[in-house]
Amino acid sequence: MPETVYIGPYRPQLVEPERFELLVEGNRIIDAKLELGYMHRGIEKLFTTRTYMQNLALAERICGICSGIHTLCYAQTVERLMGIDVPERAKYLRCIYMELERLHSHYLWFGILAHSLHEHEAFLKIMGERERVQDLLEYLTGNRMNYLINTIGGVRRDIRPEKAEKIRRILKDLKPLSDYIMSLLDDNGAFTKKTKGVGVLPRDRALDVGAVGPTLRGSGIASDIRKEDPYAAYDKLDFEVIVERDGDVRAKALVRARETYESMKIIEQALDNLPPGDIAVKPSEPRVGEEVGRTEAPRGELVYYIRSNGTNIPERVKVRTPSYANNFAILEMLRGERLENARTVIESIDPCFACTDRVTIVDAKTGRRRIITLK
Amino acid sequence: MGKISVYRFLSAGCNGCDVEILECLVPRYKLADLDVEVVERPEEANVLILTGGVNIKGKEELLKIYEAINPPRIVIAVGNCALTKEIFDKGYPMVGPPDQLIPVNYYVPGCPPRPQAIVKAVADILGVKIEETEDYWLAPEGFRGKHEFDSEKCMGCGACAQICTADAIDVIDGPDKRIIRVNYGHCSFCAFCQDECPTQALRLTREYHLLTSDRQTARVANEVNLVGCSVCGGVFFPQKQIDWALKRIVEEKVPAYKDFSSDILSAMMICTKCRREIGSIKRAKKLLANLSERARKL
Repeated sequence: MPETVYIGPYRPQLVEPERFELLVEGNRIIDAKLELGYMHRGIEKLFTTRTYMQNLALAERICGICSGIHTLCYAQTVERLMGIDVPERAKYLRCIYMELERLHSHYLWFGILAHSLHEHEAFLKIMGERERVQDLLEYLTGNRMNYLINTIGGVRRDIRPEKAEKIRRILKDLKPLSDYIMSLLDDNGAFTKKTKGVGVLPRDRALDVGAVGPTLRGSGIASDIRKEDPYAAYDKLDFEVIVERDGDVRAKALVRARETYESMKIIEQALDNLPPGDIAVKPSEPRVGEEVGRTEAPRGELVYYIRSNGTNIPERVKVRTPSYANNFAILEMLRGERLENARTVIESIDPCFACTDRVTIVDAKTGRRRIITLK
Repeated sequence: MGKISVYRFLSAGCNGCDVEILECLVPRYKLADLDVEVVERPEEANVLILTGGVNIKGKEELLKIYEAINPPRIVIAVGNCALTKEIFDKGYPMVGPPDQLIPVNYYVPGCPPRPQAIVKAVADILGVKIEETEDYWLAPEGFRGKHEFDSEKCMGCGACAQICTADAIDVIDGPDKRIIRVNYGHCSFCAFCQDECPTQALRLTREYHLLTSDRQTARVANEVNLVGCSVCGGVFFPQKQIDWALKRIVEEKVPAYKDFSSDILSAMMICTKCRREIGSIKRAKKLLANLSERARKL
């Protein structure tokens, strides 16, 4: 006799509130439903009540963890509407700031993974070491989170040689942390035992549900907006798109762990090749029209659509966040999984419900899907 | 009070504060040393930490959870969303801020507050002192914390209120004074006001310990004298802004207008209503003709 198990909405193990309804038979999850809306704030409506500049702070507060990439994606889309060319130096600086963000976001994910696997020691070590990135971001931008460093036309703060020196020093200190995480993920590592073979998302199913970012790359598909549709200075920087073939939680973890090395490589290259010049140009009038912009957030592809009517207030802003695309992957991975692994699977896509909460998804037992938009 | 058991509740925020609270658990931030534990069920807790501005869906849950918390049932609102809903103030699903739904004892402003600020707030509430070095508390150069006005420089133009991303700055005109007030409980600490200020009068300092038990006190204000219209005498504009504009015209922009500075000043001292009177328009036209003739000569 199948029974229903509820996870959430308010459970301290999950950083954010969400509610999962799992249909369980014995120890196996046979169906999963997801109920959202606990974080809904009406952001897309709020976008159309503020000026383009003021919206930067709003875009940032869609998600507190990947806040920088939201402002970058928003700013790049607005820049296209305004016909602005961003100075070369600003493009490199954007890469540096965004890769620092990817570092702290990935480390946070490992912290939360350790927490969900009850590896308390690893949790404290990863979160403690992660503070180095947070301190660095605070030193460079003036805030630990929601740093509002990207602006329309460039960036707000420059990296002078002494700051560059400090970045290099801290990157060197961070390498041991990435090595430590890799050691947890090697064949005998503490994470491997609990994540190998858990929550498998096969390659074809990953494509079917439209997964993005590390979730997709963990299933063997090399997809990265930084390579496919380069923005900022990524076309001039050399880095590798990390792919793992297994599709389980360990593969997703390995993708993220190896990406931290790539991020460090990108930052070092950008610092070496930082061109001289201005860091920002003045915004101008937006033209009447619409634009779409996309960037590779730490969690995957982030898409902004902006329609302008020529005034200083956008007419429509639509945000497609990576966690929204990945939510369907969670449900896919939960089906057939053992109940005790449910939390690990949910955490494995690095869900960011602050990002996602604009839609309620009801997944009926028959497999039919109904999407109710809260807009 | 004995052992502190904290239950954390988030509804409708960006989750930045929640990550910072999680970060407080690492040894560097001594939250564990204060005999504080984070519990998983509200029935086990006696302190409730709120983040986020509470939306329709979170309201019922919040009321239920508040009922379940054990006495002394201390409620701490962390982050500006929990104080005032901040940037999401006008969002349609928002029903908060939480203190309109349940009693809130303490507020920790910030967006998000530094972990040091959260730990210090908890320690202050408990009446414990944290032994730490100066370095531990110090925010780096360029940190965006509490606002500070330079009352000498501030001319009351209100540019900060115009650019403000979270409607945190009020411009209140009284009979002879204008008050520029920053409600840092509303503030998103984006520092656009600092960037936009034409006289660099508003500055974000490195101060970030902002714990308060009344969110109405989370304010910084500056007063500027208003001047009367030279025709009707009605109060209309800050004296300092008129001086600043005149100085900018005759000293920086067009030095050749210096001879006319008294005429320009008298034209500026007329309020918008009186400017529409025939006599004023004629005078203004004459002044403009003189100025354009001077410009042609150059």
